[in-house]
Amino acid sequence: MTAPRDPLIRRHRIRANARIRKVLAVPLGVLTGVAILVASMAAAGTAGFPRGAAAASGTWLAPSGTPRSGGPGHGFPRAPSGTPTWVHIPSIGVSAALQLLTTDSSGQLNPPTKFDEAGWYAGGTPPGDIGPAIIAGHIDSKCCPAVFYRLDRLRPGDLVEVERGGQTLRFTVTRSAHYPKADFPTSSVYAPTPDPELRLITCGGEFDKAAKSYVDNVVVYAVATP
Amino acid sequence: MRVNQWPRHRMLRAVIAGALVGMAMSTAVATGAAAASSQKVGYVRLAHLSPDTPDVDVYLDSTSHAIAEKVFTGVGYGVVSQYLALPIGTYTVSMRVSGADPSTPPVITTTVTVATGRAYTVAGVGTHAELGLKVINDDLTIPKGSHARVRIVQASVKAKLIDVSLSNGDTVANNVAFATTTSYRTVTAGSWTLDVKPSAGGSTVPLKVNLHSDSVYSVLVLDGKSSLTATLLTDASRTGSAPGGPIDTGAGGTAPGNNGGGLPVPVLVLISVAAVLAVATVTTVVVRRRATAPDAWMPRRASADRAPTRVL
Repeated sequence: MTAPRDPLIRRHRIRANARIRKVLAVPLGVLTGVAILVASMAAAGTAGFPRGAAAASGTWLAPSGTPRSGGPGHGFPRAPSGTPTWVHIPSIGVSAALQLLTTDSSGQLNPPTKFDEAGWYAGGTPPGDIGPAIIAGHIDSKCCPAVFYRLDRLRPGDLVEVERGGQTLRFTVTRSAHYPKADFPTSSVYAPTPDPELRLITCGGEFDKAAKSYVDNVVVYAVATP
Repeated sequence: MRVNQWPRHRMLRAVIAGALVGMAMSTAVATGAAAASSQKVGYVRLAHLSPDTPDVDVYLDSTSHAIAEKVFTGVGYGVVSQYLALPIGTYTVSMRVSGADPSTPPVITTTVTVATGRAYTVAGVGTHAELGLKVINDDLTIPKGSHARVRIVQASVKAKLIDVSLSNGDTVANNVAFATTTSYRTVTAGSWTLDVKPSAGGSTVPLKVNLHSDSVYSVLVLDGKSSLTATLLTDASRTGSAPGGPIDTGAGGTAPGNNGGGLPVPVLVLISVAAVLAVATVTTVVVRRRATAPDAWMPRRASADRAPTRVL
């Protein structure tokens, strides 16, 4: 039906198409990049306090102070017991064993002895009990990033899980703060709380080469996920 | 055919470059937006303190949908929940008879507005005939020194008025009426026996407690089988004492400009990305040149002997 095309015209059309593709390519790519990130963030599903229609499994205390043993459908999980063994922070790819941390003779918290493990301050509140449970980890070793290298990237709503006594305890990040070590607000960071909370701690700020130490501590606050 | 070969390579490269730019842009936006934010929370606990009211199902709803609806089923008299850390805002607390259809109207309902760092006990109080949901403001100020703070939550209708004293004779509170709550009182931390007795006379119920410093407690007084019972609730606390200040958790290997180790990871990442892009660019150029001008890769002399190069 159509007359044989003039090859010159055809070539011209192809070039025009190519030009359009060229013009569209960059914005298309930008959109793709944004979409990839948005999708991955959505898939991570860590933003904000948990929503949805699931029925609650809250913790109630019976008058005796011991958890009531409820039947099926009753929201009375048994109280956690034992020492915490593991911490998971999916949004920054942390899954690490927990050492038991102590204080030195001056009362300062001793850091974990391994760079790929975190530590729980065993002289204080266990995760899941009322109070601020302290979990510390290194930001780096002499060469490389360590377990809490990305701790300061945690954002409100991010999930933190702690394994204790066969239970997985869930916490939600509420905020993070940088404190100069020289002026560390001990009494407010470790103050008693009404609920089970976490204080995740690592180093931050400038590295003081003379002191071989970072000048700040990064503290991430998390509360028991309601 | 060659004509539409090279734009494909170019397009692919442009798409990849664009994607990288897009990811960088949205990362920057997301980081910038989130960096300043913090989730402010307050604390709410729920309680059934009405002696003759049967078990209830308790519903907690955020009016702004800050959290999913929480339902606690089969909650009986004397049961108090832990404090729930909730995003600040307004919440509705409703009670239905245990097992009632969630779509039926609740027996009672109230709202509580949660402010930053504040704590509230929302309790079904009074007798069943005059059941009400009460929002109690809990002042969880941590006492200084070796002190604890303690108050009375009076939910016994068998003893309409009660007195509470310490084992050393000091009064904690007198004439505390059914369905009321006292303010907190500072007490020296340590082991105590709290004597709880009806103001009108009757047998004293002793409650042995260990009150930790830096902690806040409520003594919950309930109807027992024949008389009253008392139990201690922890309102705010911690285990042990706080460690002293900061902690050294870094050896500096990733600190910018620190000679102690290799290059910091972000720099390594940037270098890697740059290398990948450079390789991609060179490859694309090579492929393109081969596709468009194969002769360019021949020795000049050889190409000069050939027929005129085809021009596209």
